[in-house]
Amino acid sequence: MTDLRHLRNIGISAHIDSGKTTLSERILYYTNKIHTIHEVRGKDGVGATMDSMELERERGITIASAATNVVWKGNEINVIDTPGHVDFTIEVERSLRVLDGAILVLCSVGGVQSQSITVDRQMKRYKVPRIAFVNKCDRTGANPYKVKNQLIEKLGLNALLMQIPIGLEDRLEGVVDLVTMKALYFDAGPNQDQLREAEIPPGLLSEAQEKREELLDGVSLSSDALMEAMLEDAVTEEILVKAIREATINLEMVPVFMGSAYKNKGIPPLLDAVVDYLPNPADVTNVALDLDNDEEEVVLVSDEDLPTVALAFKLEDGQYGQLTYIRVYQGKIRKGDELYNTRTRRKFRVGRLIRMHADTMEDLSEAGCGEIAALFGIDCASGDTFCDPKLNYSMSSMYVPKPVISLAVLPVDKKASDNMAKALNRFTKEDPTFRTFVDPESNQTIIQGMGELHLEVYVERMKREYKALVEVGQPEVAYREAITRRADFVYTHKKQTGGSGQYAKVAGYIEPLVSTGDEGEDVDYEFVDEIKGGTIPTEFIPSCDKGFQLAMKKGTQVGFPIIGVRAVINDGAYHAVDSSDQAFQTAALGAFREAFENAKPVILEPIMKVEVVAPNEFQGSVFASINQRRGVIISSNEDNQVSTVFAEVPLSEMFGYSTVLRSLTQGKGEFTMELGKYGRVPASVTEDLRREYAEKRRQAQK
Amino acid sequence: MEIHELNALSPLRVFDESLGGGLGRGNLGVLVSRHGVGKTACLVHLATDRLLHGEYVIHVSFSGNVEHVINWYKEVFREVAEGRSLDDAATVYNNILSNRVVMNFSQENVTIDKVLSSLETLIRHGSFKADAILFDGYKLTVAAEEDVRKIKEFAQKMNLEVWFSVSPVRSDAVYDKYGVPDSMAKYVDLIDVLIGLVYSEELDKVVMTAVKAPGDIMDKPMGVSLDPKTMLISK
Repeated sequence: MTDLRHLRNIGISAHIDSGKTTLSERILYYTNKIHTIHEVRGKDGVGATMDSMELERERGITIASAATNVVWKGNEINVIDTPGHVDFTIEVERSLRVLDGAILVLCSVGGVQSQSITVDRQMKRYKVPRIAFVNKCDRTGANPYKVKNQLIEKLGLNALLMQIPIGLEDRLEGVVDLVTMKALYFDAGPNQDQLREAEIPPGLLSEAQEKREELLDGVSLSSDALMEAMLEDAVTEEILVKAIREATINLEMVPVFMGSAYKNKGIPPLLDAVVDYLPNPADVTNVALDLDNDEEEVVLVSDEDLPTVALAFKLEDGQYGQLTYIRVYQGKIRKGDELYNTRTRRKFRVGRLIRMHADTMEDLSEAGCGEIAALFGIDCASGDTFCDPKLNYSMSSMYVPKPVISLAVLPVDKKASDNMAKALNRFTKEDPTFRTFVDPESNQTIIQGMGELHLEVYVERMKREYKALVEVGQPEVAYREAITRRADFVYTHKKQTGGSGQYAKVAGYIEPLVSTGDEGEDVDYEFVDEIKGGTIPTEFIPSCDKGFQLAMKKGTQVGFPIIGVRAVINDGAYHAVDSSDQAFQTAALGAFREAFENAKPVILEPIMKVEVVAPNEFQGSVFASINQRRGVIISSNEDNQVSTVFAEVPLSEMFGYSTVLRSLTQGKGEFTMELGKYGRVPASVTEDLRREYAEKRRQAQK
Repeated sequence: MEIHELNALSPLRVFDESLGGGLGRGNLGVLVSRHGVGKTACLVHLATDRLLHGEYVIHVSFSGNVEHVINWYKEVFREVAEGRSLDDAATVYNNILSNRVVMNFSQENVTIDKVLSSLETLIRHGSFKADAILFDGYKLTVAAEEDVRKIKEFAQKMNLEVWFSVSPVRSDAVYDKYGVPDSMAKYVDLIDVLIGLVYSEELDKVVMTAVKAPGDIMDKPMGVSLDPKTMLISK
């Protein structure tokens, strides 16, 4: 690849079920990568080509982001299929990092849903230029105009229609291209699915002209060249396309396309749009952090002659062994090159270098700047940066949310136990939101993640891919403990029976730490030293700090970490011989535990933001189901058919909700959720939790 | 300051007093004016006052953007809480939030039957014991008399207060000196409280007048007005 102008790295992101996978599939079809089409929930049992994991096929969802290379009219496009379910958001974020542009897929009926809002926020964070595709225009209730308005209202995007539909719902025939002012039908060729250009039907002409005016007006706001051309009445296709391209890349507008992937309508113009309006790697500024220079930002230049910088954004343990997907930001990677992993500080040699086409691969001798490729057999974690050994750069770290749910897993036998260890080792490398540890009290292996489905998928993968049969416990919520008022402490730790003794005395108080930022990072802990006159020697002050932090790791109510505490020491005493680091740590720990009891401790639980979408007739059942789950209905929105309910519900009450909702709504309802905040557990529930914890500890001691 | 002190000092007490003790359950109240005078803020202030009394409120909007409404509540609460330095405002806000539901109807020409049935669903199935319902931007001036009667029956059946904010749909509406358009005239009998809002340049305030209130109070200045800066009801 010498000319970057003919390369696009794009992602397809959207709400679950708005048809991303089908769209990806059609892109492969129109670019001749595959010759037959399989549906996601195919009747033929083959499944869509992009979902290479068996599990994804079975569930009809896309979990991993496979990168696929296609060619459209002489342009290379790397398509990264991203998961739509919020439980896998880290995957979305990780793929966004390596994209230069994206297609935001929206359902013409559902419109902008909460997931689209989340995805859009992520795209804003990584400054990804995007074009929108309003899919499923063949469905009953399709309304691309409404969706465009929602893009403006709900996402605050300058969305402008690039097309208008010719017919809608079951009468969808094609679209009118507002740039060329031609009607586009998709009924040519042997399969009646190829593009046919024609004149605009007379009935649509005035609407098309009106919408074209809107488009011109909208684009001209960010393009002087277009503005001038409009004044002179000399708008050419070239000027308009150029203006739209610039505005899109500068994140000043989002062009809106439409069609139906399922019915093969609107895909070729969308591919043209990817080439015309989304940036090539050289259009985008990427920065790395120079680890040798106090993490100063360095701009990476898309030049093959410069030293190499690449990011490992995805690990996959597939049928061919371990694959590491990389994106090259600067320089190029050749077979046999030596690269340096800046996290592990290890050098390694590039063995096989390949490019993936959904389920087949192609060997490469080199991968140039801006390209996406995969390496074989490299030991690394996703998010690692690979550099030329001369450099020590790191691509900026990615935002990783903390897990909210945990599950105990128990292997059935020795063999399963070995396999499970392998599997967990792999998963934690692939997915930073997936964590695992052994609980020292129960000696059980605990896995943690972002939601029930997230963990279920990993348990399934253990069984299928690693033959690790495990029994799983009840999912457990990641509670937190906190205090609600100030409590003083004066605590003496003394052990002076023979030999060298221990003596430390600490006094002070703990109080709730109110986070200052509105929605910023909560500060979990603050240590304040107000000792005057050396009642505790300076060398032991950090010991007190350590002791408090130790105490905060595990609260006394339900054994979960304590958050939001300011610990202040203002007095104490020491012994010239018997005081030690250890003695002060123990004293601080004891003091904290004692004060904690007096500080009216409470338990906090994750409260999820839940969005339930169901046909109007089930609104009552949805309200009732939220109400039964200690939920708070925040708002509801109704249009002609669909009712959307937004609520805040404690995570502990949401277990198994998908099954419940399905039976309540005859399978027509769906929901998504993500962590909203931590909230206080009500008194009645607190009692139960404390009792359970006490019981568990008694059991463990037996 | 604690909540009960804040409530006692609230200008809404003067507001209620001007109406001879407030709107009262089973009754309909209407705030009417030209566009852009500040009815939504005023309505949200009324709702916030109810919430601060521990009551349950449903806010019905027809705008298509729930976020806007929620932001209004955030703003109004902030103004009220900061103005009186309310203790532990963040906690109070979180607590009252669970007593408020915003219901949005985004389809055009939604029938009042549909709205009322959704409200009833929420109250019964969602176990949301609403004390007041606020209709923000309901096109009352073009509603049929029958519709208003249904709302009135609903208010009585459910034993709750209903407030409307109303702007005339027709651009040729004629306003009287209190800011009430002529198109409201035919509903005067059906509603219990009618408050006109009109901006007075002289006072730089939005003047509120109780055009109709229980106990035959007619055309009485309310003793409160809208602060043009915060759009809140103030003394």
